[in-house]
Amino acid sequence: MHSARRRRPTGAARVIFVLLCGWLTLLLLVPLAALVVTVARSFSAVVAALTAAEALDALLLSVSVAVACIVLNGIFGVTGALVLIRHRFRARRLLDALVDLPLALSPVMTGLGFLLLYGRSGALRPLLDAAGVQVAFAWPSVLLATLFVTLPFTLREVALVLEEIGDSAEQAAATLGATAWQTFWRVTLPDIRGGLVVGTTLTAARALGEFGAVLVVGGSVANRTQTATTFIHAAIEERQEAAAYGMALLLAATAIGLLFLLQRDRK
Amino acid sequence: MRKPPMHAGASARLSGDRLMQAGALGWAGLLVGLPVAALIVKGLAGGPAAFFAAVTEPAAVDALLLSIGTGLIAACVNAVVGTALAWALVRWDVPGRRLIGALVDLPLAIPTLVAGVLIIALCGPQTATGQILAGAGLPLAFGRGGIVLALLFVTLPFVVRAVEPVLEELDPAEEEAAFTMGAGQFRTLVRVLLPPILPAVAAGAVQTFARSVAEFGSLAAVSGNIPHRTLVAPVYILGEVEAGNPAGAASVSLVLLALALALQPLAAMLARRAGARRA
Amino acid sequence: MLTLLFTILACGSGDPAPTAPAAPAPQKTRTLTLAGYTTPREAYGKAILPAFAAKWKQEKGEDVKFEESWQGSGAQARAVKEGFEADVVALSLDPDVKVIEEAGLITHDWRAGAQGGIVTRSIAVIAVRPGNPKKIADWRDLTRADVEVLTPNVRTSGGAMWNVLAIWGSGLRGHSGVTAGDRAGGIDLLRGVLGRVSVMDKGARESIVNFEKGVGDAAITYENEVLVAKKEGQQMDYVVPPSTILIENPVAVVDSYAKKHGNEEIAAAFVAFLFTADAQRAFAEYGLRPVLPEAEVAGLPAPTDLFTIRDLGGWDAVKADVFAKGGVYDQAAPAAK
Repeated sequence: MHSARRRRPTGAARVIFVLLCGWLTLLLLVPLAALVVTVARSFSAVVAALTAAEALDALLLSVSVAVACIVLNGIFGVTGALVLIRHRFRARRLLDALVDLPLALSPVMTGLGFLLLYGRSGALRPLLDAAGVQVAFAWPSVLLATLFVTLPFTLREVALVLEEIGDSAEQAAATLGATAWQTFWRVTLPDIRGGLVVGTTLTAARALGEFGAVLVVGGSVANRTQTATTFIHAAIEERQEAAAYGMALLLAATAIGLLFLLQRDRK
Repeated sequence: MRKPPMHAGASARLSGDRLMQAGALGWAGLLVGLPVAALIVKGLAGGPAAFFAAVTEPAAVDALLLSIGTGLIAACVNAVVGTALAWALVRWDVPGRRLIGALVDLPLAIPTLVAGVLIIALCGPQTATGQILAGAGLPLAFGRGGIVLALLFVTLPFVVRAVEPVLEELDPAEEEAAFTMGAGQFRTLVRVLLPPILPAVAAGAVQTFARSVAEFGSLAAVSGNIPHRTLVAPVYILGEVEAGNPAGAASVSLVLLALALALQPLAAMLARRAGARRA
Repeated sequence: MLTLLFTILACGSGDPAPTAPAAPAPQKTRTLTLAGYTTPREAYGKAILPAFAAKWKQEKGEDVKFEESWQGSGAQARAVKEGFEADVVALSLDPDVKVIEEAGLITHDWRAGAQGGIVTRSIAVIAVRPGNPKKIADWRDLTRADVEVLTPNVRTSGGAMWNVLAIWGSGLRGHSGVTAGDRAGGIDLLRGVLGRVSVMDKGARESIVNFEKGVGDAAITYENEVLVAKKEGQQMDYVVPPSTILIENPVAVVDSYAKKHGNEEIAAAFVAFLFTADAQRAFAEYGLRPVLPEAEVAGLPAPTDLFTIRDLGGWDAVKADVFAKGGVYDQAAPAAK
């Protein structure tokens, strides 16, 4: 690490620095400040709008789905990362490719893919009907779509850590007679804790913010499949500015809180 | 890498390994593989003629070109600005450095729909900013300028975060030596600083581009959605889905998917080269 | 394997959101799902739904919870067809209900009632800035180079189709500077207007909200869309062109979904309620033109030549002539540069 040696910018560098700050201010700070000011101006209306049943239902769905994504993709992420980094098996490259796919798809395409599977004329419809489960335009579709878009985050972060730390400690534990579980709980898990936290944070932020996929496959039905983001979309159309900007600020504030955690963990 | 287990629990561990592999593959396969397969099947189900007709529909072609064009602009701008930002964050002792570092990650966390809503709220035709911009012949909201602006917002972190770790590993002594030997700052930049970080810059730019052609939430709010002018590919795809043409939507999706899949190995290779510099 | 997956998912999410109740057993709270086009959401949300819930509670002792969705009419029809299990659909135009009917989801004759399944009416108008600074009076004015126009996308929005038909029909009927029966002239008129469109939204509501944000000089829309906007305090006026179309919005019970949810009775009661004088007056209060004469409000402007979809040959003919691939709309739409 050489980063401790920083120079004070001089001359042209100083100009560049001012320009960069201006760029960030215009692109990020001004919009955020505008949001805060708008909400502050009509604070009581915002509070009323966000405590209405529709808003609470939307928030509850978003938070539940985010928690489910953290847990399920957390378990998958750790398993998948261990398998990808530590194991050699035939389908390894297939798994590797599958994990990156969600990053390559537009959310709209994700929604369409799920609709083609779980919609009324979808490929899996006979199975679902037999099981009596409704997925498209019901909450399971929101969960599935969000699981899809958040799938890579925890896995990739944990994989990075696993690669960095190598497997000598695990090998040593195994040689000393530890079972696979003991090795995992006592050696591997403490080591990957940092990656797990970063992955969880990214998962949470993405899950709360997902819009396109849940709009296509969930349909933004109030009190049913409406999430925090599709709630904002609906509120704008209803001219409920207080509700829209209030929810937007709530999401942004949550995001910044998560970022704060992320920053602290990176240090 | 994994060596064959050497002790008594070997076979138990082996079956445990198999279970983990099957579990991970099953989860990713069901959750990711299945919908993507459905997309591919649907896109190609009508045969080559139907696929070709869907993707050469003039509105589809223009939507794809617009997405690619605005994505390229975003990638180029970020390559320059992102690199400069990374440099400032790593090399310079400036006030508020931590704050700036945190700000760069902000777009990762803010829902993209919110980003779009904010841009319209700030640069819409009714706002003072919007009127000044329109007066200057640069109407941002609902035009192509707005699309690029939204893309720049959501892709801001990519180049910065790709370049930062590489710069941190580089010894500034080399640059300083170049400075003290009388080379101008610009020449230092080009001769000494750029070559080692170039793969990282490119990796970040590729990531920016890939994200840009896929972006939906912010553009749904910011763009005017006029076919041939301001209709980007993901919004076009949504329109086809809602208009009852899922096959056409899937076909155009396949073009975007192919583009993304072609870019991923490139990004991975660049990232590896950038990583190799670090090691 | 899949069932297992869903069991895991169901446990994992801990989410209490209701799935469709499978058993038609009597419940304390009934959930009625309503899929509507974007424009009448205030009329339903603020007046009709609460009034019906009160009525139902009084008559049957059950609470009613509504799950509402508001999207462009075409998009909504496709969603219902693809598995959005709405008990009742309130759409912009007849063919969108037909999409659901043809999917086998509506099995009864939903046009059987006295009003032929049409629950509200409106007319296609031009929303303009306060005081009409661009002096817009007719469809022809929307082709002027100094006028920027908003109208939604016909692929997803029913309102957009009404808008196109209002312009096309006006030309065919010898208004807006077109000779009666001159198809080429009608297409020219439509091309002129579409060439001035700067934002093409997915639904009528998005379109008018963008107009409120200052985009454009004129927005082609439903009359009630403007009246609701004014009710909400927005500053705009509207112009009724001399020749325009009477918009007729259908409502129907999606009986196969309603049956599945055990909601046949309440869904039928809800639709019947929409045709009562009380509900019709509520629609009128939110700018729609009621189908019952006793609910009409005085003072709405009357176009000199108000025509209906039947004057254009009915929906089947119009769909084939205007909106089919290569039809009038495609010929008039601005092509690639």
